[in-house]
Amino acid sequence: MQAKKESTAIYYLMILPGVGFIILFLGSSIFLTIAQSFGWFSVTGRSQFTLVNWKTLWERETLDSLVFSLKMGILSSIGTLIFAFPVALFLRKGGAGKRFLSSLIKIPLFIPALVAAFLILNLISYHGVVNEVLLALHIIKEPLRMLNDPFGWGVVAIQIWKNLPFVLLIVSASLASIRDDIIDAARNLGAGAFSILFRIYIPLAMPGILVSMILMFIKAFGDFPITSVAGPNYPPSIALRMRNTATLFQEWDKAAVMGVIIIGTTLVMTWLYSRLAQLVEGEKP
Amino acid sequence: MTGTWNASIRRKQLLYGSLTLFFVITQLIWVGVPILMTVLWSLVDPQHPWSFPDLFPQKLSWAQWAYVFKYTNIVRALKTSYSVAPLAVILSFLLSLPTSYVLGRKEIPGKKFFMLVVLLPIIMPGMVVALFLSRVFSAFHLSQSFLGLVLAHTLMGLPYMIRVLTTSFESIPQDIIDAAENLGANTFVKIKDIFLPMVRPGLLAGMIFAFTTSIEEFNLTFVIGTPTFETIPTILYSFLGYNFIRTNASVVALIMMTPNIIMLFIVERILKADYLSASLGKV
Repeated sequence: MQAKKESTAIYYLMILPGVGFIILFLGSSIFLTIAQSFGWFSVTGRSQFTLVNWKTLWERETLDSLVFSLKMGILSSIGTLIFAFPVALFLRKGGAGKRFLSSLIKIPLFIPALVAAFLILNLISYHGVVNEVLLALHIIKEPLRMLNDPFGWGVVAIQIWKNLPFVLLIVSASLASIRDDIIDAARNLGAGAFSILFRIYIPLAMPGILVSMILMFIKAFGDFPITSVAGPNYPPSIALRMRNTATLFQEWDKAAVMGVIIIGTTLVMTWLYSRLAQLVEGEKP
Repeated sequence: MTGTWNASIRRKQLLYGSLTLFFVITQLIWVGVPILMTVLWSLVDPQHPWSFPDLFPQKLSWAQWAYVFKYTNIVRALKTSYSVAPLAVILSFLLSLPTSYVLGRKEIPGKKFFMLVVLLPIIMPGMVVALFLSRVFSAFHLSQSFLGLVLAHTLMGLPYMIRVLTTSFESIPQDIIDAAENLGANTFVKIKDIFLPMVRPGLLAGMIFAFTTSIEEFNLTFVIGTPTFETIPTILYSFLGYNFIRTNASVVALIMMTPNIIMLFIVERILKADYLSASLGKV
């Protein structure tokens, strides 16, 4: 018994370098974000408890940024899934050429976000390839404004291109865990392709789909560089607004409030995911 | 009977064949066209601009490459990027080795919690961490310092390194270790002859992940490093910002992504896909 206790203590010591490093640096920065949003450790002025910084929540600009970032998060996660799911479904079976296809698809995963932003903004700019092709096919009469457009479609396009392989890998992993027996059984019982898709593949891959959507949402919601390069002039994403508030206007306490909002949204989404995952798991036969 | 069976198999093969062709072609366009356009843009001759009605640049030359290397900070940025990355990889390897061993092979209370903590640097929004970590760093005089940059990049690489190594340690069969112990192997021999050789593929994958993460890290470098230190991503960002120069940005984008794509194929060759999903936060 004593020996076991001792070895557990040693194990905790051994995980300290990796886990401790993360807790030390992340923990301190998250603590500082929360503390500064309430006025403690203030960079300017005195350090005391105050809620005055939280007034920024009622400012029009902050709300606009928040709504914009939520929109980007939701659209990017849904969009990426729509593009990734058919490919994942195909890769589950697939014949010759599957290996080549899967390495080809993974390329954007290793292309840095900023480079991806540049690659796509080249394509969707006013006289870019996409507009020229659409014009040549007489689908549109005038080039579309997709870059820095007021809605943010350019950002969504870049997020989808960059993160397709990321979502694909997660969804593929959960599709791979579906046993062929189940599909065969369903087919024997007369299920068509349509009902196999909606009653077997999608429900059984649900945990993976949810994980990928949540992670995608978090990425797109907290994004700084892509929105800064391809997003609309107004509103900036909440992360971009936070950074400008802190470093351009030196209003660190106000930026801390936005930081807490971003972290809070991330945590709520993660919590929501675990609830949804439980629900899905519960429904399993 | 066999005739219809053969016909249905042939139909299925045809279906898969045409689907594969469809996906390969769409992916070639999806991935290939953006890259090809960038290559063309980087080769546009400054004397013969590439503008609207032309389908291809009138004249190709290396002039943009020469310009970028001569008149921008790219060489210094390359030096910074490629000296921070190896140091961050080594540091994250040293930190994660004992951690991954315990997380992969031992049962300890709170293991699930620690596995979640390990993922936090990837999950937490980068800009929030960057801004307030920079406040913590400036309290310790680490802001705008090389050491600060290495520590920040280590933080971002650790999740990949720990998770990949944990998976590798998990996959070592206990029998082998028991057998070695029966034959009188001590801890040193076990590490040298069992653990290190068996986690080597995972270790290489972890190192490549941590390396590419460091090369492309933007948020933390941007807040903690600039203006003292410039890396390739922050240079690219400056070309994409208020002084948008498409040709220069193309050159920098290619410099940044070519080594990454080569590393992707190295990973593909030596590893199976599950390492990728293991490292990418499949909880």
